[in-house]
Amino acid sequence: MSMNPGDATEWSGPGGRDATRPRFTWNAFLWSLVFPRRGHRILPTVSGIVLIGLSLGIGTAAYNSSSNILFITLSLLLACLILSGVMSWLNLRGVAWRLRLAVPLRAGHEAVATLELRNAKKFLPTYGLWFDLVARAVERDVVRRAESTVTARGIDVREVLAKAESSESDRRLGLRTRLEPSGETRLEWVFKPRRRGMMRVELAGVGSLFPFGFLKKDIGTEVGAEAVVWPAPVEYRRHAVASARRPAGGERVPRAGSGGDLLALRRYATGDSHRLIHWKASARTQTLLVRQFAAESAEGYALWLRTDAAVWTRAEQFELLVSFAATLAEDFFRAGRLVATAVDAEAPRPVRRVHDLELFLNRLAVVQPVENSAVAGEQPVAKQNVLTFAPDGARGVAAYVDGEKTASA
Amino acid sequence: MSMEKRRPQLNLDELHQLKWLLGGVIALLAVWTVFYMNLEGWTLMAITTGAVAAVMIWPALPSRVPALVHTLAFPAIVLFFAGDLWLTTEVLPAMVRLDMLLLLYRGITYRQRRDDLQVIVLGLFLIVVAGVLTVSLLFAAQILAYTGCALGFLLSITLTEAAKGDGDGAAGAGQPGGPPAWATHTDWPQLFRRLREAADWRVVALGAALFAGVVGLSALLFLALPRFQIENSLFLERFVIRKARTGFTDSIKIGDVSEIVQDTGLALSVDVSDRNVVPAVPYWRMLVLDQYEKGSFKLSPGLRLTSFGRFDRTGTVVHGEARPRLGPAVYWTFYLESGVSRYLPLAGDFSVLQFRESQNFRQSADLAVLALRDEPVSMTAYRVESLDTSGTLPDPGFAKRWRERDPRTAARGLLQNKLSVSPADQTRLRQAVETIEAGGPGPVAARDFADRAGAWLRKNHLYSLNPTIPGGEGDPLVRWMTSNEGGHCELFAGSLVLLARSAGFPARVVTGFKGGSWNGYSNNFTIRNSDAHAWAEVFDAAAGAWLREDPLAVGSAAQNDAANGEAALAARADRSWEARLDSLRVFWYRRIVNFDQRSQTETLKAVKAATQEAGRQLRERVARLADAVKTWLAGPWNLRRLANVLGFACAAAALGWIGWEFGRGWWRRLVRRPGGKHGDPVRHEASRWLRRMTVEPPRGAAGAEVVAELRRLRFGARATWPEPEKIFRRARQVWREAARQSKRQPGGTSASV
Repeated sequence: MSMNPGDATEWSGPGGRDATRPRFTWNAFLWSLVFPRRGHRILPTVSGIVLIGLSLGIGTAAYNSSSNILFITLSLLLACLILSGVMSWLNLRGVAWRLRLAVPLRAGHEAVATLELRNAKKFLPTYGLWFDLVARAVERDVVRRAESTVTARGIDVREVLAKAESSESDRRLGLRTRLEPSGETRLEWVFKPRRRGMMRVELAGVGSLFPFGFLKKDIGTEVGAEAVVWPAPVEYRRHAVASARRPAGGERVPRAGSGGDLLALRRYATGDSHRLIHWKASARTQTLLVRQFAAESAEGYALWLRTDAAVWTRAEQFELLVSFAATLAEDFFRAGRLVATAVDAEAPRPVRRVHDLELFLNRLAVVQPVENSAVAGEQPVAKQNVLTFAPDGARGVAAYVDGEKTASA
Repeated sequence: MSMEKRRPQLNLDELHQLKWLLGGVIALLAVWTVFYMNLEGWTLMAITTGAVAAVMIWPALPSRVPALVHTLAFPAIVLFFAGDLWLTTEVLPAMVRLDMLLLLYRGITYRQRRDDLQVIVLGLFLIVVAGVLTVSLLFAAQILAYTGCALGFLLSITLTEAAKGDGDGAAGAGQPGGPPAWATHTDWPQLFRRLREAADWRVVALGAALFAGVVGLSALLFLALPRFQIENSLFLERFVIRKARTGFTDSIKIGDVSEIVQDTGLALSVDVSDRNVVPAVPYWRMLVLDQYEKGSFKLSPGLRLTSFGRFDRTGTVVHGEARPRLGPAVYWTFYLESGVSRYLPLAGDFSVLQFRESQNFRQSADLAVLALRDEPVSMTAYRVESLDTSGTLPDPGFAKRWRERDPRTAARGLLQNKLSVSPADQTRLRQAVETIEAGGPGPVAARDFADRAGAWLRKNHLYSLNPTIPGGEGDPLVRWMTSNEGGHCELFAGSLVLLARSAGFPARVVTGFKGGSWNGYSNNFTIRNSDAHAWAEVFDAAAGAWLREDPLAVGSAAQNDAANGEAALAARADRSWEARLDSLRVFWYRRIVNFDQRSQTETLKAVKAATQEAGRQLRERVARLADAVKTWLAGPWNLRRLANVLGFACAAAALGWIGWEFGRGWWRRLVRRPGGKHGDPVRHEASRWLRRMTVEPPRGAAGAEVVAELRRLRFGARATWPEPEKIFRRARQVWREAARQSKRQPGGTSASV
């Protein structure tokens, strides 16, 4: 997962330390009343429209009749409108927020976006804010030019809109309780990414009807966090023939495991068995060290994913391929048998730690069919124990080890 | 378990209950306008008050109302309005009653957000209409209370909506057809306790300050809103008919004025720009009654036609017959309460009369009487310039008619000398006139005759508000006049008119107010209905003017000679509590109700002058201070003086240091938030235990461990805290153990922790 640290991890909002925020000047303030900042909006609600209508009616009657009673009422209504603005400003003052995403994100699985809120005011609480969160897929390579009704002829607008809608989910989170002075709270949004790829979760806006519900105040924010959505795991079937026959001459790699051979010594960590403590080494180094053994099975497989567009002509099948590859990679890693991964003609990456697997999953998250991937020619990984994929019928995908069908999805 | 003490928050049910209460209060505040609106709606107000109060206390009650009632409610309300309008033919009262009915319905049913808004708008309508119709000071109090409640209500709506959140619209909805969940378990004392616990006094104080700010801001807006004199009349007047509660109409039976005297309510307030012109005993003329028949005086149709003309006039300015006086103009501002009369009180003729707003009126310059077309529905304010209070009303038109009268038709009504009594009564009147005129040399002039007749009446009759008119035949007034029974002002005035007419002088009864008290707080005349009076005017052909003759007062000459101006006002100054209340009302009339473009300009000028004056005074003060410092510095310096100065400077510095050191702590304690960083009870408790352990240090590894944990609680990040209760328990055990050991081993070492 990658995040834009400047966007999400820093406190933003009226109470945040926003270095980019310009210094207050009356000139800028007055201009902001005419041209508000992007996303900043104040719209009257139904009660606001009623209030404005009442003010207009009473004002007209007051001028028409010179009745000071009506002028008093008009003054009170206008003063209430001003009070509403002042209280709304006080309510938002000192409030800061930041967005955090719980990783990893996986297509089809629930993910949690946490919005942390802080009220820096000393003795005034904050009430009744809402936060509009949007999660949308990021298409980095697709650059669309602006279209007009003339140039967009031939484009199925509905399809484009439906696609955009399907790749986006949003939610309004409300601050249901009081945010205490100098207090913090957090709001969580549980959402489900639909597709693998890059996803951006944004705080699209902060709004409030506080205090009297006359005006709906929206503050646009640019807070967002990007994350990679790994492919969804898929169900697959192992083929008995392939699994029964152990491939000969597998590559042996030293890896930590529960075997009998000593692999290395490492620092003691909470949870390690006391029996694994290497007392001599510990006494020598004045640090608790434990023994680390090599894995029993050292046969490893290399996973080579080819994304030739000529082979994977159907998008659904390609998605299945990616999910299948991700699932197998994880399963093999869990079994300690994944040695290396490669995508098309890219240089193979050894897989020794979880981080290596995560890098591969990150790559899978964004992989797309490429034209002529076979042009790369030579197989980048080892000649033996190579896990490859090929279409299995019109929809399915099969995994092969050294050309023998091992599993299918 | 967390020991942190936090202010509780109201849950959704409690917010609903609070909203319900405030909605009810708003409905009640609005319908209580009937108390001073003077429209027929008492029954509806009583029903609404009872019903809304009941459902406020027992919110589950509305669920027992059958659904059919809700179905029929709207048609029933429409039918009620249509019937009301048809029966009363008055639009505004019908609309007010419709508003109250809608408030009643909304007040006793469960409300959604839009229904809550309806309650606010309906209530505001009632209050504004009441204010516009009555211009009462109560409106000011009520609109303030209403605004506060309405803002609180709107705030509670917003908080309730926020607490409900999205997609939680059914929260608190309860069973279909049944009461909502929040209505089934109401405990109002508990709610108020929770409110008190949840409220931070600083937030409450800020809220109060903000509300005061709203009031101040609205006052500023009221002053600053540009005014234009469009000269339109109040539109609401068209939709309501008002009848005078008092008897000041153009037909008065004997005793009507005396009935008014029983009413001590405020009738009129009068401001005067120059107190020196105020007469000792002012007479406020309202109506002239020239026709007498069988114990009743009225304005004769002939005089009405010749004096008032046929058509109403509309405008804000009226020109009278009096000529403007030399020197600065004297302005009299009258605030006539509604329900008194449509005839405006005036002390006599005037040069210019200006209404606050355009009015429909009829004017009789000859009679110096001004009548509005309709009974005013609210307080009527008008300003009169150069008011003649002398008691003599020149009437050249009548003088001409009198001179050119035909002896054969001399007793016609227009000459205001007609005696509509039987010949026997005329004889008795003639005998009385002879008695009055007896002893005088030659023909008696009008003034003399009036004075003598007044004296004769006072000699034969005492003043009494419960007169007895002797039985028998003939005119009741003549019967009373020829008896020795006591009587009230109408009997005296009527008798004088009959006597004067019998003596050949045109005469008439005038009704209005006499005197009044001088409010010592607001410096204005306060005239109550109990000051209602009737007197006579006798025509003096020689002067061509009507002379005021009050038979209940000492002679006219004495009246005119009585002290005027400041001395007279000081004698009648009223400083009672009632006067205090009246002064508030006058302030309301002067500064708020009567505020117009001219007042706006005057206010701006006054603000400018006050600012300039304040600036000038400040500059003078600074200059004087600078001079004083210079003089002081230029004085001879010796060791003692230097020591004094240094001592003073040191004392000031010490005081400043003390203030800085301790004041900050005091301020921090004042603004400390319960549960905040400074007020964290866990940290406090840990600090307390650490202090104890400094005195009595624990021993052994367990003691050191406890101290370490206490330090973590005292200074560490909250996330790293161990469970505070457990640590404090262990600290107590360790501390007791250490204390026990130190008792056993006196003189043990003590180490600092």
